[in-house]
Parts: sequence; structure tokens; C-alpha cells
Amino acid sequence: MLTNITAKNDNLAMSEPTVKSVDPTCPHNKAISCLDCRLGKICLPVALNDDDIVELDEIVKRGRMMEKGEHLYRANDKFHSVFAVRSGYIKTYRLTKDGEEQITGFYFPGEILGLDGINQNSYKNSAKALESAAVCEIPFNRFQELSLQMPQLQTHFFQLMSQEIAEDQLLITLLSKKTAQQRLATFVLTISARNAARGLSAMNLRLPMSRTEMGNFLGLTVETVSRTMNRFAKEGVIALDQKEVSILDVERLRLLANLDQ
Amino acid sequence: MSQVSMPSSEVVFWDKAVIDKYDSRGPRYTSYPTALEFNHLFDVNAHERVLADLQQLPDETLSIYIHIPFCRDICYYCACNKIVTRNAQAAEEYIGYLEKEMALVSKAMGKSRRVTQLHLGGGTPTFLSSGQLTRLVLALAQNFQMVDDDSREYSIEIDPRTVNTADLALLKGLGFNRLSIGVQDFSLDVQKAINRVNDVTLVRNLTMAARDLDYDSINFDLIYGLPEQSPESLKETLEQVIALNPDRIAFYNYAHMPERFTSQRAIDRLTLPSADQKIDMLNGLSLQLCKAGYRYIGMDHFVKPDDKLAIAQQQGKLLRNFQGYSVNKSPDLIGLGVSSISGFEHAFAQNEKDLKEYYAALDAGVLPTAKGLFKSDDDDRREFVIMALICHLQLEFSKWEEKFDSVFTEYFMAELNDLSELEKDGLLTISDKNIAVTNKGRCLLRTICRVFDAYHNQQLQLHSKVI
Repeated sequence: MLTNITAKNDNLAMSEPTVKSVDPTCPHNKAISCLDCRLGKICLPVALNDDDIVELDEIVKRGRMMEKGEHLYRANDKFHSVFAVRSGYIKTYRLTKDGEEQITGFYFPGEILGLDGINQNSYKNSAKALESAAVCEIPFNRFQELSLQMPQLQTHFFQLMSQEIAEDQLLITLLSKKTAQQRLATFVLTISARNAARGLSAMNLRLPMSRTEMGNFLGLTVETVSRTMNRFAKEGVIALDQKEVSILDVERLRLLANLDQ
Repeated sequence: MSQVSMPSSEVVFWDKAVIDKYDSRGPRYTSYPTALEFNHLFDVNAHERVLADLQQLPDETLSIYIHIPFCRDICYYCACNKIVTRNAQAAEEYIGYLEKEMALVSKAMGKSRRVTQLHLGGGTPTFLSSGQLTRLVLALAQNFQMVDDDSREYSIEIDPRTVNTADLALLKGLGFNRLSIGVQDFSLDVQKAINRVNDVTLVRNLTMAARDLDYDSINFDLIYGLPEQSPESLKETLEQVIALNPDRIAFYNYAHMPERFTSQRAIDRLTLPSADQKIDMLNGLSLQLCKAGYRYIGMDHFVKPDDKLAIAQQQGKLLRNFQGYSVNKSPDLIGLGVSSISGFEHAFAQNEKDLKEYYAALDAGVLPTAKGLFKSDDDDRREFVIMALICHLQLEFSKWEEKFDSVFTEYFMAELNDLSELEKDGLLTISDKNIAVTNKGRCLLRTICRVFDAYHNQQLQLHSKVI
């Protein structure tokens, strides 16, 4: 997490002019920037540039703190909100028939989760904090009420949600088609791309999940994950330091991921 | 169980002499009575009552059809209820009204029924932006009990010109598991003549993406009898289609009726294939598809022999409603949107066909019912026969008699008499136990069913030609 916060702060410094113009009492102006948040695209512009600021502020619940292992929602709970990770990491999972945890996604700061509930009106997965985290919440019913007054907000919101749903689906598809080596390389590259999209380093990543969790998500044994990651390191493709990963040879990693196919 | 087994290699053959003899007009019987019989005696109150009655069978399943009337461009052959516009705002407004309609329907019938079938048709459902599709699916989930299990059939019609891989990923994420791609024809001359140019590469890429995304089934819609089409050009189109290996193929007949459908007036009559050419096309496409491993299940539909529909037909379990053939049809279908038809066990209801009327009703807070009908006992009896012939290609008298507690040969004495002419021509066989459609007769199913249609004489002129 240190890596990310440092990077975030760097990024904040870079976007100082924007931040300066913000009213210091605005709830957006927190240590972790809303500027990099995907929800910020609907949340921030409306809230900061519009008279509707107060109303939107009233429905977005900001910065709820979560302990490691604490649940944000559970599978089959009624779909009530969409969430953005403000800091820390959230994982989603469902229980298999045997009661085993099957991890279905990892969510990084700035990313949105809870959308798996949209076509059932109940969450398909459970979501819990991978380590202590903070999340913002948009309760759906109140959002829909507000949308009646601000139709553009609604249009914008659903457009954004649809992109998230499509990306999740494409990632699942991408991973399901690949060998162990391709999956891990793809996984690292995906996180790199997600970092880059949030203005963080694309080359120095933190993988907050354990090897077991990584394997669970990718459908690989923990031994395979460790062996493959170590081989990537040995071949000079990446450097490993606990949960920190540095990409040394991105071209080679792309080849390993076989992204062209 | 009826056993109509036919080796998959067997090819259906359209016999010109027989077709010429019986060439007349007839409906496709997605319902009986057909929509032409709906009347204004069936009103909003009747519709509400029927919906409320659904609560008495909460464990039954539910089908939903949603009509999206908008199209970006006009396809000249089209006979659907549609609105050609480039205004995305029009769709935004429409979804707002669909939300109102869903809330009214849901309030009237409750949320206890599991939605096992969903179909988005048009017009062009993919006229909707990805955000609008997401909003629509959320509204569905808030008003109905949508399901996530593998047995669900959630399908959407795709205009390949309006969709990319990310859109297909979104649709999968929204719960759709079946795609119906509007291919029509791959020949550029034909595509230009119908104002619908979609390159084969486009369709190939979408088909491959859909496979990657693990869609359960991909259907291609094709049309024969289009302007500039010839048996040779159709053969080339089919070669390209077969290479893409769709699970199902619906091959519709283009019926040129410019006096009824204004957009068809843009088609030059002289560029249309002749009646003889159309029969050649039918036989050619049938031979080509059967050689490629498809089998004809009836009413314009070809499927792979291991497809659910083919298996269901062999087991006598195939069903049919406004959405075409199905294996797990619900007893009740809710049609949402302008002009949509709802089909219930004992009634039909159709929404307003005019967008303004549809909006006005919902603004007033009532269902946008335009017309419909309650089925009579006679309707039920004839519906049973027609659906059995279309789906199982045979009717066992005992099954009908069990249900309606009377003697089939007595009730349908006149019809059986009329059928004997068709029997002589080899379209069907009549025994003391059943009526069975022959291979030859499968090409004239509409003609056979029409014998049992009590209304057909009154409305001969309105339907399209059978072939």
C-alpha cells in the first residue's frame, strides 16, 4: 500500500492547480484523491462544478473505513449500492458447493465494485477487505431519485457502469483461455495497466494478495504460482520483493502473456 | 412421446408442383388465434385482471419480450414496427417509459415468477448505448425475478453494424447468453439493394468474440428472396455462413408487399428473384445446410442435430411462442414496449402500436393496452392442434382427447375431410391414431395448419405468401 500512497501523493502534487481551486471544506478534498477515482467521473465534476453539489454529497457516503476481513456486502444481499475503493484493496468471492472460497476479483483504489448485482438485484459475490481499506458508497435508490433531477448524471453513470461490466467480463474471458504462464503474465500486465490508468507507476506494482489467493483467482495451484513467478524473476522479466513486483522487461512479459492471440 | 425421428442427413425438398397447387397466404402461427383477431373489447381492465391472475400460479416461470423500435438506418425489406432515427435521446426517453411499464406490470402480477426466458427484439435493440442497455437490465432486475442459472434463455438481436467486442462482453456481463445476429445476406449487391451493408469480416469477428465470451448459442438470421439475390449468390453466402458455424439458422422468406410496408417501395420489383428461382433457392439452401450437418425443424429454422431444439423435437417436447421455437417455454409471456404482444394461457394482449399513444397511457399511469382477446374453448382446441403440428410434426388424437374430453374425429370432421386432399399429395398421413406430417409436408406446414384455423378464410389477403 505504501507504494500506492506515495505514488498517489506524487500524482496529487502534479494536479495541484485543480486541487487548489477546490474548497478546502469540500468532502472530496481528502488525502486520497477523488481525481483518480473512476466514480470521480460522475461524482467529482457534478459535485464540484454544479449547484447540485449538496444533493450529491448527501447521497455519496464517503470514506467508510473497513478492517481487514470485514465484509462490504455478501452474496445474495439485496443490490443496494455501488462502491468505489478509496484506499486499500477489496476482494470479491463466492462459495463453491463444497463451501470453498472462489475468488472472483480484486479491486484497487479508484476502482468500482458491486456491479455484479445489477442484473439480479442482488449481489452475486461477497466482498471483503483484503487489508484495511476505505470505500465510498453510492446507494442506488437515492441515486435514481437524484437522477430524475439530473438526467445527465444518470446517463453518465450507466455509461461508466457498462464499461466496468464489459472490462470485468473481458478479463475473465482473457484469463480463462490461457496457460498458467500466460495467465500470470496477463495478470501482472492487467494490474500494471490498471495502475497506469490511475496515474500510478506501470512498472512498480504492489500485489496485495497472497500467492494462494492469486492462484485461487487464476485457477492455479499455489505451487504453480510461486514456481512461475520465480521463473519470471530468474529470467529477468520481473523483480520480486515480497508483495512488490517490478516489471523489468515489459516486451518479454507481453510475449509470455501472448496478448496478441 | 411422439417419435418423429429422421436421419439428420435427410434433406427436405420443396416440391414445385405441390407448392404451386397450394400457393396461397398464411400466418406463421407464432400464436393461435393470430394477432389479426385481437380486438378492442379486450381492454386495460381485462389486461390487469389477467396479470393479477398470474399470482395464482407463483411457481410457474415467466417469459419476457422487450421491443426496442428504433433503427439508425432503414433496411428496405423490413416489415417490423420501427422508428428510424439517429437521435440517441429518443431511446433515453423510451427506456424511461419502459421503466414505468415494468413497474405497472410488476405491481399487477407480483415478483414471484422466475424469468427463464428473455428476448430483446426490434427494431434494433443494439440501437441502445451500452449505458442504456445497463439501465434497462437494472430496471428488469428491480421489477422481475431475473435468474442466473444455465437453463435460462436470455437472448438479444444483434445488428452487426452497431456492435463491437466490448458490447458483447457487456451483454454477457448483463446476463445475456444467446445472440441472434442479423446477417440477412453476404453478397454486397444484395446488401446494397436492401440498404444494409455488413461485411462478412464484421460478422466473423463478432462470432469469434461471442465464442470466446462463452455464449451458449449463436443464431444467424438470413433471408431468401431478396432483391439481386440468385441461387448462385445465395450459395456463396451460405458457404460463408457455414464456415462461421452458427448453432442455429433462421431462414426467412422475403415477402414483397410494398402496398403494406412503405420501406419496401424502395425495392425494384424487377430485381427480385422469380417464384421458380425462390423454390430453387429453398431447395439449394436446404441441401447445402443439411449437407453441412444442420437439420430442418420446421417453420424456417435449421439447427445442429445436437441442439436443444432438435433433441426436443425428437422427444416431442418442442414448444413455440412469439419468440419462435423453444424448449422451456413459460405458460405466460409478458411483452413490454410499443406494439409488443403478451401471450397468456387463456388470453392475448397487445400494446399500443403508436409511440405517442404508448407514452400517453403510461403518463396517465395505466398499462398501454391497445387490444387483445380471451381465447374461446374452440380457440384452445385449435391452438393445441396447430402447435402440435408445428412443433412435433404430428398430432396424437388421444392426447388431444385427454385434454378436451371429446372425440377428435368428430370435432374436426370437416377439417379431416379437407386434409384428405393434402394427404393425397403426400403432405401428411392420417391414421386412426394420429396425423403425421411427411417430409414433403414439412415445407408446407403453414398450409397444413391453416386447415385448422377457423379465421383464415376471412383474412386471406393480409398474409404473406407461404413461399
